[in-house]
Amino acid sequence: MKYLPLIIPLLFLALFTYALIKRVKLYDCFTDGVKEAIPLVLSLFPYLAAILMLSDLFEQSGLSGYLTNALAPFFRAIGIPPEISKLVLMKPFSGSGSTALLSEILSSYGAESYIGRCACVCYGSSETVFYISAVYFAGVKQKKLFKPVFIALIVNFLTVILGCLLCRLF
Amino acid sequence: MDPNGFLPALLSGGQKAATLSLSLLAVYCVWLGFFKVMEQSGLSAKLSRAVYPLAKRLFRSNDKEAVMLASCNLSANLLGLPGAPTPLGVKATERFCAKGNSYASAMLFVLNATSLQLLPTTVIALRAEYGAGSPADILLPTLIATAVSTLLGALAVRLFVRR
Repeated sequence: MKYLPLIIPLLFLALFTYALIKRVKLYDCFTDGVKEAIPLVLSLFPYLAAILMLSDLFEQSGLSGYLTNALAPFFRAIGIPPEISKLVLMKPFSGSGSTALLSEILSSYGAESYIGRCACVCYGSSETVFYISAVYFAGVKQKKLFKPVFIALIVNFLTVILGCLLCRLF
Repeated sequence: MDPNGFLPALLSGGQKAATLSLSLLAVYCVWLGFFKVMEQSGLSAKLSRAVYPLAKRLFRSNDKEAVMLASCNLSANLLGLPGAPTPLGVKATERFCAKGNSYASAMLFVLNATSLQLLPTTVIALRAEYGAGSPADILLPTLIATAVSTLLGALAVRLFVRR
């Protein structure tokens, strides 16, 4: 565990050394990549804004409290902190929406808290099932989607339970 | 419920979107630069070629181009390149389905939908932003959870989806 923080600096060091050996123009190439950051963020921005507005309305109106309370016993029984239930429910639908919720959870409970860590593992180990199914199978006529979507949803949910358990151990 | 809270809620949502976009911009600046170097130095292509033999067996397909597309999709997923896996996955799915190989398309979908990402770049960066002392210490539990979900997903497809 002591060496874990070294992973990322070492990755950069290894890649840049390799790239120099391969005679890649490091500076030009890196800045070329950075250039793509702005269009990417611009393309996400409208969805982030809409989801965060909705989520704030949801919060302010008290609906979120009702929902969290209603689901709390169920989530607690399987070991998921109820505070991250919104994130668990959002994740299959929207990547940018769940990024927004993750940053809200981290800012209100702190990144080091158990809740914050659970939210991170939950976010990092599952994917936007419905979004991917819609995009990947958009051009396919005969869709046989029920089974794969069902499998993906169940597996992702089990992973969240496992992730919260792992957060207690590490 | 207080009707006076309506507009302030929308405005605070908009404000959060603006700050979050800035932090995401910072994340992407770092990692898109990193990934571009990776691409240019030929490492991404190497990884795809390394994944190919495994992918061929995984998807039970002899369609070379489709399997190559799928391996590129898987390796882009492993690296967590934002946005890169999607077009590759769409093309591979179309090809698999055109050949009537719904097993391969289901496998590809489930692998994508259960997350393969080795380095959760967004999570690590957001943790650093919100003051985690060691932002990367989330790696181990995330990796274990990701590995288990991928194995479970692949196994389930193998058991429940017929060729």
